[in-house]
Amino acid sequence: MSDAQPPLVVKDIHKSFGDTEVLKGISLTANKGDVISLIGSSGSGKSTFLRCINLLETPNQGDIKVHGEDIKFRGSGGDREPADAKQVQRMRSRLSMVFQSFNLWSHMTALQNVIEAPIQVLGLSKDEAMARGEDLMRKVGLYERKDAYPAHMSGGQQQRAAIARALAMEPDVLLFDEPTSALDPELVGEVLQVMRTLAKEGRTMVVVTHEMSFARDVSNHVLFLHQGMIEEEGDPKELFANPKTERLRGFLQPKY
Amino acid sequence: MFSFCTDPSVLPAWQWYACYLTSGTHLAFYWSFVVVIMLLLLAAPSALLVGFGGALAMRSKFLPLNMLGRGYTSLVRGVPDIVFFLFVPIAIGQGVEYIMHQINCPDWDQPIRQGNDFIVCRDAQVPPRGSPSWMYNAWGFLLALIAFAVVFGAFVANTLYGAMRAVPKGQIETAEAYGMSKRQTFRRIILPQMWVYALPGLSNIWMILTKATPLLFLLGIQDIVYWARELGGAKTSLYKYPHPDWRVWYFLVVLAFYLCLTALSERFFDRMMNRFSVGQATSGGDRQNKGKKKAVATAGETAA
Repeated sequence: MSDAQPPLVVKDIHKSFGDTEVLKGISLTANKGDVISLIGSSGSGKSTFLRCINLLETPNQGDIKVHGEDIKFRGSGGDREPADAKQVQRMRSRLSMVFQSFNLWSHMTALQNVIEAPIQVLGLSKDEAMARGEDLMRKVGLYERKDAYPAHMSGGQQQRAAIARALAMEPDVLLFDEPTSALDPELVGEVLQVMRTLAKEGRTMVVVTHEMSFARDVSNHVLFLHQGMIEEEGDPKELFANPKTERLRGFLQPKY
Repeated sequence: MFSFCTDPSVLPAWQWYACYLTSGTHLAFYWSFVVVIMLLLLAAPSALLVGFGGALAMRSKFLPLNMLGRGYTSLVRGVPDIVFFLFVPIAIGQGVEYIMHQINCPDWDQPIRQGNDFIVCRDAQVPPRGSPSWMYNAWGFLLALIAFAVVFGAFVANTLYGAMRAVPKGQIETAEAYGMSKRQTFRRIILPQMWVYALPGLSNIWMILTKATPLLFLLGIQDIVYWARELGGAKTSLYKYPHPDWRVWYFLVVLAFYLCLTALSERFFDRMMNRFSVGQATSGGDRQNKGKKKAVATAGETAA
């Protein structure tokens, strides 16, 4: 649990769906304060990789270490599964995920969404959670909408509420799965703005994104995935200015 | 009922009707409405409970429980209701008496089944021999209630099972991604969200349940339909209140009763649907949202 250990180390993740190998050995280390962007075309495995990190998909092979604690697995290949459900729950409570389609719980108001997991999982009292939740709603600029149901909010508002929900867990690492891909272009900005603020605060983030400007300006490390492998990785300034591989060059070229 | 009712044949019309409509058999007729409503009010939650248990069993990863749940729903839904309405009360009635017999009369040397009769010792009879007749009625009612709960519970189980599976995967996955256990996810996410998917099915089952109450007659409980037929039939002058065939009027009353019940039920289910649609991205939830916006807009206009 010491701070010397990086919050998240993922080693050599393999994942297949049936006969299709989607991930062919991907590794990633997130030190405290890192903002790591995963880029690549659709089908390159970025989202699957992110889902493997908090075990929404079980990797067929590979290790995940959260603050130096190894996640235990049993079985192998397609039958592999986490060995200790309690450990998985504990680990997940420290890695908060923000989804592409927001996934706010539809029967709860925005604020109820934010306080739910802190109460249920972290064991906060309702008052503590409410105080924390209201602060966070203010932070993402949604205090006035805190009692609205998700279905009555715009996409951008929903995603900001989802980010507040993730922050309410006070996680070690924030995982973003294409957080702006389901948004209308004019709503993307408000979500990216919140994410920039978080990055400036020194939060550790792993972001799957199609927003190249975000990857270039905000992250301090970029992974370019192609067909389940890391094609290229490195410092974003360097990587975007001088792509070494043909594929990254092609990917970065304006398509229209 | 009234003191002037001793000889109805000499009474003027209104007194004759007053006496006729308050005769003992008519009171039993009115009481049968109460019995039916009582049965419905008790059978619905019982079936819901049984069905909920059945749905949980169907979801269980523990194989025997899973098979029990699936077996129960397939079996009961596949067999004509009437068979179960006849089978369950008899089976339970005889089963209870059999067990009581084994406990209370270990010295009994005669077989329990003698030809067509099911004979247990005196101490094993349920309700005990010599009980007042209301005890017999209550026991019969209880057995009927169990039969209704078992039969309708199977339909409820299937509906709830489907509703639980209709809750979008993303909602469940998110709960898990935030470290909630299976149990917490079920209690906090699936359970509150499933009703909106379950209600249409449940309201169907309720309607069928209300219409199944005349089957009570099969179980020896004199229900509304039995009395309507009995009382409405033509009565010769041998009876205290002779009259021609009035069945059509009696059945009209029964018809009105069931229609009122349906109307009330529909209101109730509409209300529930509204309640559970709050915030849901279903068309029902959407309508509410639009209604709200409209209300706000109108309020704004009035203020301006």
